[in-house]
Amino acid sequence: MGEDALSRRGFIKLGGGALGALVFGSSLAACGQGSAGGSNPAASSGRKVINFVTAKFESTTSMQDFVKPFNDSSSSYQVVVRELPPPSQSTEVHQQLVQQLGAASGDIDVFTQDVIWPAEFASAGWAMDLSSEFPQAERDKFFPGLVQSVTWQDKLVGLPFYLDAGQLYYRKDVLKDKGMKVPTTWQELATSAKALQGSGDIKNGFLWQGKQAEVLVCNVVSFVGGAGGAILGPDGKTVMIADQPAQTAIQFMYDTMNSLNITPKDVLSWDEEPSRKPFTAGNAAFLRQWSYVWKVSQDANQSQVVDKVGVAPLPHFPGGKSAACLGGYQLGVSESSKNKEGAVEFLRWMTSLDTQIRYAELFGSNPALRSAYADPRLAKVSPAMVQLKDVFEGGTPRPITPKYPQVSLAIQSAVSKALTTGDVAGNLAKVKSEIEKIVST
Amino acid sequence: MTTVGPTSTTVGVEEPKPPAQPTRAGRDHVSFRDWMTGAALLLPTVVMVLAVALYPVLRSVWMSFRNTSPILREDNFVGVANYGQLLADEGFRNAWLNTLWFTAVSTLIETLLGLGFALVLNHPFRGRGWVRAVVLIPWAIPTVVTSRMFGFLLDGQSGVVNYLLLQVGLIDAPINFTGDVRFAMGTIIMADVWKTTPFMALLILAALQSVPPSLHESAAIDGASSWRRFLSITMPMIMPALLIASLLRALDAFRIFDLPYVLTGGGPADSTEVLSTLSYKTLFSGSQYGLGSATTVLMFLTEAAIAALFAIWIARRFKILEG
Repeated sequence: MGEDALSRRGFIKLGGGALGALVFGSSLAACGQGSAGGSNPAASSGRKVINFVTAKFESTTSMQDFVKPFNDSSSSYQVVVRELPPPSQSTEVHQQLVQQLGAASGDIDVFTQDVIWPAEFASAGWAMDLSSEFPQAERDKFFPGLVQSVTWQDKLVGLPFYLDAGQLYYRKDVLKDKGMKVPTTWQELATSAKALQGSGDIKNGFLWQGKQAEVLVCNVVSFVGGAGGAILGPDGKTVMIADQPAQTAIQFMYDTMNSLNITPKDVLSWDEEPSRKPFTAGNAAFLRQWSYVWKVSQDANQSQVVDKVGVAPLPHFPGGKSAACLGGYQLGVSESSKNKEGAVEFLRWMTSLDTQIRYAELFGSNPALRSAYADPRLAKVSPAMVQLKDVFEGGTPRPITPKYPQVSLAIQSAVSKALTTGDVAGNLAKVKSEIEKIVST
Repeated sequence: MTTVGPTSTTVGVEEPKPPAQPTRAGRDHVSFRDWMTGAALLLPTVVMVLAVALYPVLRSVWMSFRNTSPILREDNFVGVANYGQLLADEGFRNAWLNTLWFTAVSTLIETLLGLGFALVLNHPFRGRGWVRAVVLIPWAIPTVVTSRMFGFLLDGQSGVVNYLLLQVGLIDAPINFTGDVRFAMGTIIMADVWKTTPFMALLILAALQSVPPSLHESAAIDGASSWRRFLSITMPMIMPALLIASLLRALDAFRIFDLPYVLTGGGPADSTEVLSTLSYKTLFSGSQYGLGSATTVLMFLTEAAIAALFAIWIARRFKILEG
């Protein structure tokens, strides 16, 4: 008995020691210093290297292969690609860019950035001012919402590359059967959705994404924008989230699940894929989603609604106009680059008509260049893409401020509360003062 | 965990007797040279532990007193301003309470269920070895996969769980497990219980096996019922190990991250926001290193308090046992 107790005590002591280490080691080790990992392969034949740091976009072609035509044709520069995690791990991409750009070591010349980061990087002084290289006439070649998102304090701090935008997917077969028009206002959509659901033709009227995550902010931007409002004014300081248009829009989001009953409350925990599945399974009439859904919906292996789907700009409220929340990655040049001429030349190549169409072909992304949509080669790559030009023309950026990440988190929390409790005015008033505090410092 | 390192190294150093000094008398006496050799061999481990464990901890504490932000190019000493901001922040208090609630409830359920599992697995029956292995499967599955799996199972539109409940007639309408503030935290606790009960069962099973069968036999001869034997023999004997296991579990549960991060993103309406997801958002999305560090320091202090409470409880338990 005595020996037994002793051995147990020994066990407990050992356990205690291990525990102390566990507590110390795990809960606090959050802030590490990332290494900038600057491998700098020497340029062959004396050409100057352009270090291109990019998120790893999904394709069977590597980015290094993609830039080969530039490397082959240039006698003075050579692009060396360094890949970060894929865009699906956007927080990790952001984190690595922050560390590497912040180190200002000159290891990065050109980088790709999510459409919500340019203001942040520019205000930190990491992004080269491209205003004089690309005057207004050159900027007009891109979709206006994208140019807005790479503009900070009247300076062009990035260049559009490719985009995505929220759009309305609808069941064209069902609408045709009932003689319904494609809705252009939210009221029309609600009426159609309610009628279709009521007659038992379809299980869900309208699906969107309400998970407390970035995708909720995209939904908010589209609804609020469609009512003529915004989260932040163009000055990046005036908070408009508690104004009447925003109230109307958020109230409508709440109503879809409650008084109108066209949306299941499940959307409160849904991001993209959970909302896509019922639609492609044939269980929803309308869906707000990104452009990737088109391809999935036309793939018989994943979809019950092949050839039964239509795409249109998102509806708006009376007096507003359609607002598609913009996504996609854009280009930027590092302020600490030692090869800015080369970087700018590479940017011109990346945004040229030929490169944009080739990128759409190999990576399946929508070109940022408007003229690409009139080019028969793009129609060959994807007939559906060409039809999206109207959606993209109405592309609306998310709030443009260096504090965007904090603003986004505040919106996510407040709108999620408004949507679960129904207290729209109270929560919007509260988040207004929160955001005012965030952007004022 | 890293502190276990030096102990094993020292054992390795002191064992071989240096053959160069056979005349030196006394086994307990350690020569200066031996001591130096020992210290030299220990040095790399000590440096490693300091570098990977102590340095980041101290740096986090240091950063928590600063307003470090790479974006705003700020890095000044701000005293306890970050702590003041956190304690006044409704979002932080909410996450703190959520975390405590999750820790308490999940640890309690997992300990009780684990005890039940362990008692069953301690009884001989056909195929016991096989069952013992199978029980561990949920624990071996990566949490991100578990989260996705529960997402599919519990979906309000196409989830199997709702389908079965509807078929059986227990509910009239599908339950919105992850999208309803009333159920979201419960859903996360349920997923965690499913995943971690096997771990508790295993720890408690080990304790059960240290209970000598002879005690049970003599008590049975004296006419004690099996319930009586469980209360008077099994429970007191396994109590210290049970408490240690709960402590381990509670400290681990306090750091819950993957389940809410994947399943709910902290929502709806912040109802599943916990300290780990909050500090991740502050540190890595918001790049507010100072405020994020302060969050982790407060997390650490809370964990230390939980550990201390358990330690007092365990120590008192021992006094009862020994005295």
